[in-house]
Amino acid sequence: MSTINELISRFKEIADNPKKAMDDYRAETGKGAVGIMPVYCPEEIVHATGYLPIGMWGAQGKNISKARALLPPFACSIMQSSMELQLSGVYDELSAVIFSVPCDTLKCMSQKWKGKAPKIVFTHPQNRKAAQSAANVFCREEYLHVKEELEDILGVQITNKDINNSIAVYNENRQALREFSDLVAENPGLIRLRDRHAVIKARWFMEKSRHTALLKELNDAIRSAEKVPFNGKRVIVSGITLEPYEVLDIFEEFGFAIVADDLAHETRNFRQDVPQDEDPLMALARAWNLFDGCSLATDADKPKGRILIDAVNKYKADAVIICMMKFCDPEEFDYPILLQEFAEAGVKNLQIEIDQETTSFEQIRTRIQTFSEVI
Amino acid sequence: MYTLGIDIGSSSSKAVLLKDGKERVSQAVIQVGTGTSGPARVIEETFGGLDITIEDMDYIVATGYGRFSVEEADKQISEISCHAKGIYYLYPTAHTIIDIGGQDAKAIRLDGKGNIGQFVMNDKCAAGTGRFLDVMSRVLEIPLSELGDVHFKATQWAFVSSTCTVFAESEVISLLSQGVSKENIVAGVHQSVASKACSLVYRVGVTDDIVMCGGVAQNKGAVDAIEKELSKKIIVAEDPQLTGALGAALFAYELCNRSKRS
Repeated sequence: MSTINELISRFKEIADNPKKAMDDYRAETGKGAVGIMPVYCPEEIVHATGYLPIGMWGAQGKNISKARALLPPFACSIMQSSMELQLSGVYDELSAVIFSVPCDTLKCMSQKWKGKAPKIVFTHPQNRKAAQSAANVFCREEYLHVKEELEDILGVQITNKDINNSIAVYNENRQALREFSDLVAENPGLIRLRDRHAVIKARWFMEKSRHTALLKELNDAIRSAEKVPFNGKRVIVSGITLEPYEVLDIFEEFGFAIVADDLAHETRNFRQDVPQDEDPLMALARAWNLFDGCSLATDADKPKGRILIDAVNKYKADAVIICMMKFCDPEEFDYPILLQEFAEAGVKNLQIEIDQETTSFEQIRTRIQTFSEVI
Repeated sequence: MYTLGIDIGSSSSKAVLLKDGKERVSQAVIQVGTGTSGPARVIEETFGGLDITIEDMDYIVATGYGRFSVEEADKQISEISCHAKGIYYLYPTAHTIIDIGGQDAKAIRLDGKGNIGQFVMNDKCAAGTGRFLDVMSRVLEIPLSELGDVHFKATQWAFVSSTCTVFAESEVISLLSQGVSKENIVAGVHQSVASKACSLVYRVGVTDDIVMCGGVAQNKGAVDAIEKELSKKIIVAEDPQLTGALGAALFAYELCNRSKRS
């Protein structure tokens, strides 16, 4: 059995080199990659084509210049760096790019995208909870649109059987990731935070059954590992993403371990499975309707606070750290609600601001150090 | 027992030297901060004229933006914890602290026993901080130290937005070109600082007593604008630039005692 470090280094290599992952996949299968813009996409439909779905979550520490001419200064850094990469030709090799448009910035970005790869834009239903049946029908139609566009662009036929197979592959991957996250929580001194992140991030650049196979090996290795003494604080992180890596290092510097995350980049993608159904597009639509806890997924009941408080109890966490994506309106709208709910439940919490462009981390260090001194 | 607290901020360096955790033997402020000659000079000034040196310190705690660059320190503690410590020592009835420094503004809620209940910091921009006032002072050609007095000569406060330092600078230039008086603009600038700072205070809750510290607390105009925004009386801390260094020196005393006991 490979050692934990060997396995993690393989995940890290992929997480840090998506271009190589794409090239390797093309060389092996003769098929290219389809870009998946944040935040939520029925990736199973892409997987069913045999092409590699590849996440487009911007870049850490990327200098933004060309994108400034096209985007307002208050667009979030994921969009800024994605646009910069597109203008630099990084995404030209993609066979297509899929946009979901759950926020205003993505709506506008999807209309300004000028990359060589053809784009496919779809929208999730807004009133998904109050008008569930209609929302599911609407969502299924949007997913059908994605499927038909992919068939046209890639010259493939996608059958229901193909999509159901892909749903099964994704569900198995989700299960393995949930296990991984829980195993890390049980032995928080064992895996470095940047390694935890890399293992999960690599799924955005790997064919999912391969990610699952490697992850199962890692899970077995973690299960067999001895407990590492840990005297720090256990926290749950919530937000869109938690990068750059330096921020994770600051968490460690002050003794924090992440025992669960509620990040759009990470756990929100595998918190729940997609139910099997004869009509796989409807199954995917229903899964979207059941998906809860992201500021970008409209829900007037605002269940995010309850989900986080439940997670605090489940994982015996000491606190929640809100990783607020700079200039993310939906997240900022929800924050005061969370603060009130945390106060009522007695959950200690901190907010830090996440910006992919940042190269100076002193303010985050001050906040996290203070928090470590307070709790 | 001698303990030293050193607070290296973004725009000033401060130090407080305590004897037995109570007697303030010496203190100093140098108006340049991390990455400058400030840290060395503040130590030199603190010990100037004394028959003890930094080598005689039993424990040193560094705080502030440049806390990790102080090689002599035994420990680094965040400035939020140190300001809370210093303020609670001086004002045990304090429940809310407003600390506006060179590039950060912070609101801290204390639980009545000196413990931090909640804290928030400014983000996105230096609007509403000391740097913001530096920029405005330059544009208005009024020395920073005189902004407070000029504020009280205003007849009608101008409106200056609180979103962004760069945008606000453009607004001030526009107001000047429209012939708005400098006094009214200064009051508007202070209102802008107050608006930004109070948005932080509202997040932690407004509970008396409210104590203000940091360099901007020396600006009576900014304090006046914050009092009007909150409709509350603000206590300006004694030597408001030094409360972080004082807190650091108090922490140093506690830590030194603890290490001797163990």
